[in-house]
Amino acid sequence: MKRGPRPRWLAALLALALVGAACSSRDDDDDAQTETGDGEAAAGASIDTENCAGDPTQEIEGDVIRLASSYPQSGLTAAFSEIARGWESYFEKVNAEGGVEIGDRTFTFEFVDMDDQYNPSETAQNVEEMVGQEGDDAFVTFSVVGTANNIAIRDFLGELCVPNLFAATGSPAWGNPDYPWLIGSTLSPYTLEGQMFAQVLEEQQPDATVAMLVQDDDFGRAYEESFRQAIEGTDIEVVAVERYPTGASEVAAQITSLAASGATAFFDGGTLLACPDALTKAAAANWQPITYVSATCASKTLMGLAGAAGDGVYTAANLKDPLNPDWDEDPAMQEYLETVQQYRPDDFDPENAIVGYGYTQAAVLVEALEAAEAPTRLAVMESVRNLDGISDVGLLLPDVSVTTSEDDPYMGESLQLAQYEFVGDGQRNHFALQGELVDFEGRTLDLTPEDLVTG
Amino acid sequence: MQLFIEQVLNGIGNGVVYGSVALALVLIFRTTGILNFAQGEMALFSTYITWKLASESDGFGLPIVAAIGISMAIAFIAGAAIERVLIRPVEQARSPLNVVIVTLGLFLGLNSVAQLIFGTDPQLMPSPFPDGNVELFSSGGDAVVVSKATIGLVLVLLAECLLLWFLLQRTKLGLKLRAVASNPDSARLHGIKAGTMLMLGWAMAAAIGALAGSLVASQRTGFDGSLMQIIIVYAFAAAALGGFDSLIGAVVAGVVVGIADALTIQYVDPLEGIEVVVPLGLIFVVLIILPNGLFGRRTVERV
Amino acid sequence: MSMPSDATGAAVEPAIGTLPEGAEAVTAPGEPPPLRPHLPRPVLIARIVIGVALSVAALYAPFYFTPENNRILSQALYLSIAAMGLNLLTGFTGQVSIGHGAFFGVGAFTTAILMVDHGWTFEATIPVAAVLSGLVGLLVGFPALRVRGLYLALVTLALAVLFPRVASKYVEGAGGVALLRPRRSEFASLIDGLDDDQWAYFVCLVLAVVLFVLAWNLVRGRMGRAMVAVRDQEIAATTVGVNLAGTKVGTFALSAAYAGVAGSLSVMIDRIADATSPILYLQRSIEFLVAMVIGGAATILGPAVGAFLLVWLRRNTEDLVEGKEILAPAIFGAALIAIVYVLPEGVVGGVDRLLARVGRRSSGSLVRPAPASASDVPDDSTNPGGSHEEGT
Repeated sequence: MKRGPRPRWLAALLALALVGAACSSRDDDDDAQTETGDGEAAAGASIDTENCAGDPTQEIEGDVIRLASSYPQSGLTAAFSEIARGWESYFEKVNAEGGVEIGDRTFTFEFVDMDDQYNPSETAQNVEEMVGQEGDDAFVTFSVVGTANNIAIRDFLGELCVPNLFAATGSPAWGNPDYPWLIGSTLSPYTLEGQMFAQVLEEQQPDATVAMLVQDDDFGRAYEESFRQAIEGTDIEVVAVERYPTGASEVAAQITSLAASGATAFFDGGTLLACPDALTKAAAANWQPITYVSATCASKTLMGLAGAAGDGVYTAANLKDPLNPDWDEDPAMQEYLETVQQYRPDDFDPENAIVGYGYTQAAVLVEALEAAEAPTRLAVMESVRNLDGISDVGLLLPDVSVTTSEDDPYMGESLQLAQYEFVGDGQRNHFALQGELVDFEGRTLDLTPEDLVTG
Repeated sequence: MQLFIEQVLNGIGNGVVYGSVALALVLIFRTTGILNFAQGEMALFSTYITWKLASESDGFGLPIVAAIGISMAIAFIAGAAIERVLIRPVEQARSPLNVVIVTLGLFLGLNSVAQLIFGTDPQLMPSPFPDGNVELFSSGGDAVVVSKATIGLVLVLLAECLLLWFLLQRTKLGLKLRAVASNPDSARLHGIKAGTMLMLGWAMAAAIGALAGSLVASQRTGFDGSLMQIIIVYAFAAAALGGFDSLIGAVVAGVVVGIADALTIQYVDPLEGIEVVVPLGLIFVVLIILPNGLFGRRTVERV
Repeated sequence: MSMPSDATGAAVEPAIGTLPEGAEAVTAPGEPPPLRPHLPRPVLIARIVIGVALSVAALYAPFYFTPENNRILSQALYLSIAAMGLNLLTGFTGQVSIGHGAFFGVGAFTTAILMVDHGWTFEATIPVAAVLSGLVGLLVGFPALRVRGLYLALVTLALAVLFPRVASKYVEGAGGVALLRPRRSEFASLIDGLDDDQWAYFVCLVLAVVLFVLAWNLVRGRMGRAMVAVRDQEIAATTVGVNLAGTKVGTFALSAAYAGVAGSLSVMIDRIADATSPILYLQRSIEFLVAMVIGGAATILGPAVGAFLLVWLRRNTEDLVEGKEILAPAIFGAALIAIVYVLPEGVVGGVDRLLARVGRRSSGSLVRPAPASASDVPDDSTNPGGSHEEGT
């Protein structure tokens, strides 16, 4: 057959033309001229702005504050996109009520988001696109999901001095002083969960032997190392640790191994499906230790899967749980439900706690913005790093007060113990709050092994 | 010793899961000569259908056995349709790589469509087996038990193997299926409708996959879109280990893989978190010694 | 294809060994025909013109496009390198691998670790990455000799699944997560007047061109014939003196090295080597395979065309799913199936066929080409099917 050589080149040319047609040209971009910062830190500021590639003291032009977020919207972790439902509803409400006042100007919220499928490389690409290579597009990034994902963008945003606010995991690394432009959310650091369990054990079983199930990554390491530190100087002892492969959905062999240790206490640091599976397998093995589950497991769906095997397990919380009948008449809870029903009603499951979490982050952010001195990145970051006891916003528990300061980079430092009450299948099983709020204000850094923060 | 046995039983519990999916893989290979990368996700989709039929809170609340049966029937039809519409036209262009791409496209797409239709939350699948355990023996402390469900699953698998073996080796239909898989052109010359046989092969494998997925999900503490993602890798390992020719080989190899995994978790600490190395390394090693797998037959190649 | 006819309408068989119509005989009588027929002048000129146009476009592109788009182009470039490597192994030699993501990962982490932990400059890491991944390919290639067809595909699948797990266990980056990000300044342009993103693009372009030319030469020569012989009829190949083991293992190692270079370049373009996702490298393997097939397996330009098409597809499915983002993978999967449906030989193969048909009609005569001979081989769009053994 006569094979024309020409087609191959033509095909390649076509492909290139396709790409060219789809993409914008270099000159299309009207790059805003950004002057490099002149190195003067604002008065009273604790953040060093000398090395900023952009100017963090530049005020927002116009009356729109642009938030950018990157989180999983497809793929196996798509369920995390429900967080956005919460904060989008809140921001829409604020917009409808006239907007947010920063300094002496009023702004409405605009948000852009991109799907990263929980892939840190995608997150990095998305954020660079939404914020712009010179940092001249989105104002701040907000509620990016995933520890690795936030780590992947912290250098880029740090160099541009763009705030990355309310990173949506409890990693202690968000307190790293080398990254002042990154801060976590009201999700309590994993360290404090270890502390809560240690406290429970000291009260109920001072000489407990503990078995731990943790994920084989930084998340699991944070639990393990901080719990070990928490029990130093007590009679509590860790006798067995099993690290399961990241993302595994069944842990039968690990539980058999842990149960064989005869431990009297069990820290279930599993997340997603591994968590309830650990509970059912423990029950099947007739192993009945005093059990604590990760706060990431405290959701209707996950505990629902465990069913009766979850009865009596402990966790810690600082938000009101929509599943808990105690909050049915609570005005804040009702307002939350109404807001989401009004602005993001499609497929809304009112009992899904992570929507409430997103909602609360937006509420705290709005408080922080209103307390900021000026509508600049530096002022906003300063404000978020110097929160002065924000309480009773969103779904925060009644006595919770969100405080941050120069030595205290963590927001979620008060927690209340909760214990799961299983009433029956299809019933409104939920975590019931126990005792009083425990306040770790300002102590997280002391309680966390240093390599977890600065590692 | 007791711990060892308990872990072996854990391994068998998972192993029958891998074996049942491997069965579907081997079946489709033996009847169509294709390596179906989408097998796991097809099974996942059917599993969701079973759940929807059986769920009392979110679905139709049918008895689980009926739900599985209906789901298998739907899968049967869907499998045949997929073969006719998606696979056959591509295969006729005589490129096995193109078929691989189609199955990969299905692999990527089915999970996403399932999430759209059935949601992203994990769900509970009712179990067709009775609850409870059977005591094997007791030595000192607690008795060593195996769950009735695991026994049930083993029995179901053995029954499947028996039925399929009978079908393929002892019936005329089976002969036609095998003839088409071995040499479609030659089979056509003998008057066998190759197209129908291929559709039948896919249909059966899809139905087997639906059964496997539903049973697997019922043995788990909930399932979601990730159900088949890890399993399919182990299932492929099991199928390769067993030799793609042998149905019983797939099941046995699945159990071997499951046991290897569980024992590694218990006894090999340096591999913590990456225990998957062992079953995968195992197939590597076995294939080097036995290139046709543990149970495969050596084939004669004509030049 | 039908038989040419002479003036009386009777079918006439062209004599064996004659060249297709329009081709000029350039060999002296008595010599065997050249491997590739010399082409008529208009075709040659057209070829040169298009080649020049393409080169100009490729060279000018980075000055026209924004940095984001340059990054996308660069991604397509390194993807095409990996796809080309896979093409050598799978398209030409017929050894199916769905594990080249692992070699890509080896290259990426080699570069990232040398840069982040040992302070190497990026350019120096590329050859090391190539050699290391080639070595791993060699190590895999040897046992792969024993294992054939679908078993090889599964063994390579296992590789792609294992790699991120093992890497995440032993790689620890900042923040305790298993990912490494060299600083942006490490990739600064070495040429004044070129922005960083333009420089990165050119590095990718130069390497891609070099590696493609290398592949082209390889495939045109003896090794190429050996590869195709192994693909089409392995047993017969050994009888004519093809070194089966050498060809297979060598191709494995070479294709792995290509993937390693691609991985190394990806660290410059994406500035990340990531082991946190257990399925990432399997996804990469699938990408390479898809790029190769939709571009046109066993062709030289196919992998490049496929890579660009793939990147374009991915960017554009995002726009289609506003509001139903969860469907993005489904749209992508459907697009793949559609392409393979419509263009079974890939874009390059399809265009080839189309233009050949057009060329035949316009030339007025129905020429049956010379019967399949050695000239039919390498860099044209040969059908990647061949015979397939079932069950082994």
